[in-house]
Amino acid sequence: MRRPAIQALRWLVFGLAVLILNFPVIATLVTSLKSEAEISSNASLVIENPTLDNYAAIFGMADRFDILHFLMNSLVASTLGSALAIALAFPAAYAMARFGTGRRWLLPLAVNLRAVPLIIFAIPIYLMYQQVGLLDTRLGLSLIFCLINVPLVLVLFTSAIAELPIEIEEAARVDGAGTFRLILHVVLPMSLNVVAASSVLAFIYSWNEFLFGLMLTTSRATPISVGASFFFAASGGGVRWGVAAAVMILATLPPLLLGLVMYRQIGRSMTAGAVKG
Amino acid sequence: MERQTIFEGRVLLAPLTAFLIALLGFPLVVDLVYSVSRVGFENIRAPEITGLGNYAKALADPEFWGAAWFSLRFGLIVASIQVVVGLILAIFLAPLFAARPWLIALLMLPMMVAPALVGLMYRLILHEFVGAVPYYLLEWYGDFPAFLGRQWVFTTLVVIETLQWTPFALLILHSAYAAISPDVREAASLDGATGLRLFLNVDLPLMLPAIGITAFIRFIDSFRVFDNLYTLVGSGAGGSTTSMSIYIYQAFFKVGDIGLAVAASMLLLAASFVVLWIINHFTARKVAT
Repeated sequence: MRRPAIQALRWLVFGLAVLILNFPVIATLVTSLKSEAEISSNASLVIENPTLDNYAAIFGMADRFDILHFLMNSLVASTLGSALAIALAFPAAYAMARFGTGRRWLLPLAVNLRAVPLIIFAIPIYLMYQQVGLLDTRLGLSLIFCLINVPLVLVLFTSAIAELPIEIEEAARVDGAGTFRLILHVVLPMSLNVVAASSVLAFIYSWNEFLFGLMLTTSRATPISVGASFFFAASGGGVRWGVAAAVMILATLPPLLLGLVMYRQIGRSMTAGAVKG
Repeated sequence: MERQTIFEGRVLLAPLTAFLIALLGFPLVVDLVYSVSRVGFENIRAPEITGLGNYAKALADPEFWGAAWFSLRFGLIVASIQVVVGLILAIFLAPLFAARPWLIALLMLPMMVAPALVGLMYRLILHEFVGAVPYYLLEWYGDFPAFLGRQWVFTTLVVIETLQWTPFALLILHSAYAAISPDVREAASLDGATGLRLFLNVDLPLMLPAIGITAFIRFIDSFRVFDNLYTLVGSGAGGSTTSMSIYIYQAFFKVGDIGLAVAASMLLLAASFVVLWIINHFTARKVAT
């Protein structure tokens, strides 16, 4: 009798935890599916007349606030930033894992960098971007996303490469492969798992970044994390809550779906990143 | 061969090093120079070096200390709650996750949402007319507090931050718990340890490093909190929710006092180094013994 009772309690606690922890998204989703009239008369979590009008209304204001433009900015800058972080970190991680180059300074620097509030560098970066014309560009934003993700990616790659069997690389060297060909044709293919997992996590972190998006963009390159708040002021007078809620759901959907599909890889990367740092 | 290896290692490291110099090294130098200068947007390229005045100004500013205190208190409280709740959930729910690993995905979802968007969502959820939380509190208790008023705003923010990031503690602590070999527990239970004693004497000591790391990461992240604060309340009533990051942001963008903002940044960096030094020192010693 005791065992099943505890098991039932576990399911209850689990269910409550899921509901409470995800409450912001659930409540926002509910609001986004109500009509404007229902939102002001019924604030409960029960929808009387579900409608997609709010989602349609977002695209009706594309002349002032173009959500597709914000989403595209986030997509391009996040993809580019993650790819760049991987391209820079992978060879460096190989050099550290196999040759020991820079192990004594670069790895500790990267690990400690994750503990430093990046706002410290935000002001000079802003001034620097102003000088070189990177303000309000997707490229400028993607460089920041790269910077944010490089420490984690570097730590993950270094430990993953160090765990690969060195015999395969030695065999390839005997066959005459140079270091650069070795990395590209032997080490990289063996590390695809960790590369994929890191890129998903880096993409999500980039997509969700806000501070630099706020400081370094004004309109052309505004990411969705910043652009979403524009819709709160969209109608001049009061906030159109239904539209604002629908925007937030659309802005959250990409990382949320990635998280659901790739939870195993993300969980492993987060854990490894925390424990190995 | 040896010289070849060193050369190749440097070539492999060069792109990343160049990138870090451009986006971290150069900004750091600019920070250092501006922090001892009188500088505004009009003489941005030719700052006039004046000494430590900006630092004195920051250190004499009660708002600076208010922000430091807010961040410290917020970070400590939030990290403590998250570790305790995360630990309890990780252990209590472990049998469920062992049988169905995908269940943990549902608890990881909050981490996938941008903190800035979470702040915006709470604007809606806590809104007195259209928000679900005031609606249900009114229904059940007949009243609800002013969540973002001076008296409640700190608590509200603590709850919001805790709800979003307890999953991180849960994830790390669950994997630390799952990594404990069943043999260890079996041996201890043969010696007569059960329930709470088994946990305190066997599991807890083995999980201590993971607990320490989790607490540290959560503290750092909450200490530098910006996004959800900014989108939900800004600096709050009378600056009551000004974190260090908000303080620096406002000194720069609202007041336009570049020198003050940069000096505050440098003080924050120095504080981070002190914390990191203590942590490194502490963990290095623990490994040695």
